[in-house]
Amino acid sequence: MLEISELRKRFAAAPGATEGKLALDGIGFTVRPGEMFGFVGANGAGKTTTMRIVMGVLKADSGSVSWQGKPLGYGERQRFGYMPEERGLYQKMRAGEQIEYFGQLHGLSAPAAKKATDDLLERLGLTERRNDSVESLSLGNQQRVQLAVALVHDPEVLILDEPFSGLDPIAVETLATALQERCRGGVPVIFSSHQLELVERLCDSVGIVSAGRMVASGTVGDLRAAEGGTLRVVVRGATPGWADGLPGELSVTGDRHTLLVAGGDDQEILRRALKAGHVEHFGVEQPTLTEIFKEAVA
Amino acid sequence: MNGMMLVARREIGTQVRTRAFKISLLITAVLVGALAFAPKLLDRPDSYTVGTVNSQQLPLAQAAPDATFEWRAFPDEEAAKEAVLAGDVDAALIDGVRVITDGEIETELGVLMQSTNREVKLGAAGVSIPPLQMQSVGADTRYEAARTGIAVVLVLVLFMLIIGQTMMVAMGVVEEKGSRIVEILLSSIRPWQLLGGKIIGLGVLGLINLGTILVVGLAASFASGFAADFPPGMAGIVAGVLVWFVLGYAFFATLAAALASLVSRQEEVGNVMSPLTMLIMAAYFVAFYATSDPTGTLATIVSFVPPFSSMVMPVRMAATEVPLWEVGASAALMIVAVLATLSFGAKVYERAVLRTGARVKLGEVLRAK
Ligand SMILES: Nc1ncnc2c1ncn2[C@@H]1O[C@H](COP(=O)(O)OP(=O)(O)OP(=O)(O)O)[C@@H](O)[C@H]1O
Ligand SMILES: [Mg+2]
Repeated sequence: MLEISELRKRFAAAPGATEGKLALDGIGFTVRPGEMFGFVGANGAGKTTTMRIVMGVLKADSGSVSWQGKPLGYGERQRFGYMPEERGLYQKMRAGEQIEYFGQLHGLSAPAAKKATDDLLERLGLTERRNDSVESLSLGNQQRVQLAVALVHDPEVLILDEPFSGLDPIAVETLATALQERCRGGVPVIFSSHQLELVERLCDSVGIVSAGRMVASGTVGDLRAAEGGTLRVVVRGATPGWADGLPGELSVTGDRHTLLVAGGDDQEILRRALKAGHVEHFGVEQPTLTEIFKEAVA
Repeated sequence: MNGMMLVARREIGTQVRTRAFKISLLITAVLVGALAFAPKLLDRPDSYTVGTVNSQQLPLAQAAPDATFEWRAFPDEEAAKEAVLAGDVDAALIDGVRVITDGEIETELGVLMQSTNREVKLGAAGVSIPPLQMQSVGADTRYEAARTGIAVVLVLVLFMLIIGQTMMVAMGVVEEKGSRIVEILLSSIRPWQLLGGKIIGLGVLGLINLGTILVVGLAASFASGFAADFPPGMAGIVAGVLVWFVLGYAFFATLAAALASLVSRQEEVGNVMSPLTMLIMAAYFVAFYATSDPTGTLATIVSFVPPFSSMVMPVRMAATEVPLWEVGASAALMIVAVLATLSFGAKVYERAVLRTGARVKLGEVLRAK
């Protein structure tokens, strides 16, 4: 289990400013083995800062990160896979050699690194580009190489900062499948993304961060339950004023009256609707992650 | 350790494959080879053509074994005079008593002809004079010219290699920092491994360069015959150059990596490196001055002061005889300096390399805990 607790980080003050930016304000969450954790939040909320601290690239002012019950150290991080927000590859180096190199740096033997590289290139559809220099690849393909670098050593934990940005729909599917596979193998996966539908579809649990704090977290189902659904009632040919005194918003187009209610006594609403006219639709609609997100960071 | 070696191997592997590396290696090899043949071409032994009219040939070749002499007999003075004026002969001996030349006779030839003539005449009269025994009680100056030549070439080679490889280290550090590759690298290896690997890798490339220069230079010297002028202890000089290159490079490259880790863009490298470049230039100028006055006070003192010693001491070793204890003491001081720079440089690098964005101030890095 990866446990992140109470992380605080204030950046050094810019020249002239009295106080540095408080990027993290006690953020904390846990990710279990085999769990895919979606990390969402507005720009500047603190996602990248959190991931950098987990990877030891930045030092937190306070708080802790532990893996399998022990404080996370250099030796453990070596078995992590990391994809930084700002992609970094040696531009002049060949794609395949680069992946092998990082595999070896992570402790693989030369033949093992070569084999893992071959497999990944195959999976990511880059086999033909093995000997091309990275700078000659398209942005999306560079991103695939970057991903391969994060995956080559069969990591115990995956920390990916916006891995889906810049990928075409096919590549998004390839990557999603690859991540789900690792996940099923027991690897905790954390990734940040602004593509909320994707997060909703892929993730077991989601954390919404705002201004350096975790404002909502849990499974998508939990979040929905907490948020509550919206009751949608459509009545045809209702007498005007039938919904007076009921909560929610009524909109009328022609003879169709649509009432949207969050909460309230649904039985009472149903009775009133039946009395008013022909009930065409009556049901609770689940909020999308986007709605939950907007609500949470508001 | 393994991580460091992987980094070093990557540096070597990627550089060796570039066209720039191969071409520069080829050019240096050709230049050094040409240089070894230069003394032979410039410093050809004297050769004279001497005419005779009704005279015996003088034993000139015996008196001056380095020079070559060609003799031509003329039927009369008129023909000899014509040949002298036409420049076909340098001088003509008439009747064994007179020498005619076009203008004043060349000093060496004149002296040679006078003395051999005297000897021949005295010998004919039955007088024999034992030749003077020449003996030097001062320093052995036989190899002075060769030594100075070697020293001048050495100082140039050391300077070019040190400044070139040092610059490569700086650019490599900024490449990794600017592109954020360090973020991934430093989540799998430690800063000192990355720094050490880079310095070792580029240092090995420098040694490959230096090795090529030495091998080509020595081979060409033997081929051209210049090697005959090599001072004794040439092997020591060569070994010294290698050791001093390693020490000097380690010192300057570590500082270069530390300075370069303060900036994030290649455009800023020149600027942040300028104090170091100036230091290397200063060492070069002192070392160059030492080639002309290797036994002077300045050269002697500076050959003990790190990091200048890394360029001045090899020059002194090539240009004169340096007592072994002096070399040892100077090397020990330089090693201490290298170790100090390594600990300082690694600290700066470790603290600055992940701080991308605006240039990081050195003072800030040193103060931070
Ligand atoms: N090196 C830095 N120096 C000063 N402030 C920083 C630094 N890095 C990040 N910050 C600040 O910390 C806050 C959190 O930034 P962070 O990059 O973690 O956000 P994020 O959630 O990843 O945003 P995005 O979705 O845009 O990637 C921001 O306000 C940012 O300006
Ligand atoms: Mg970010």
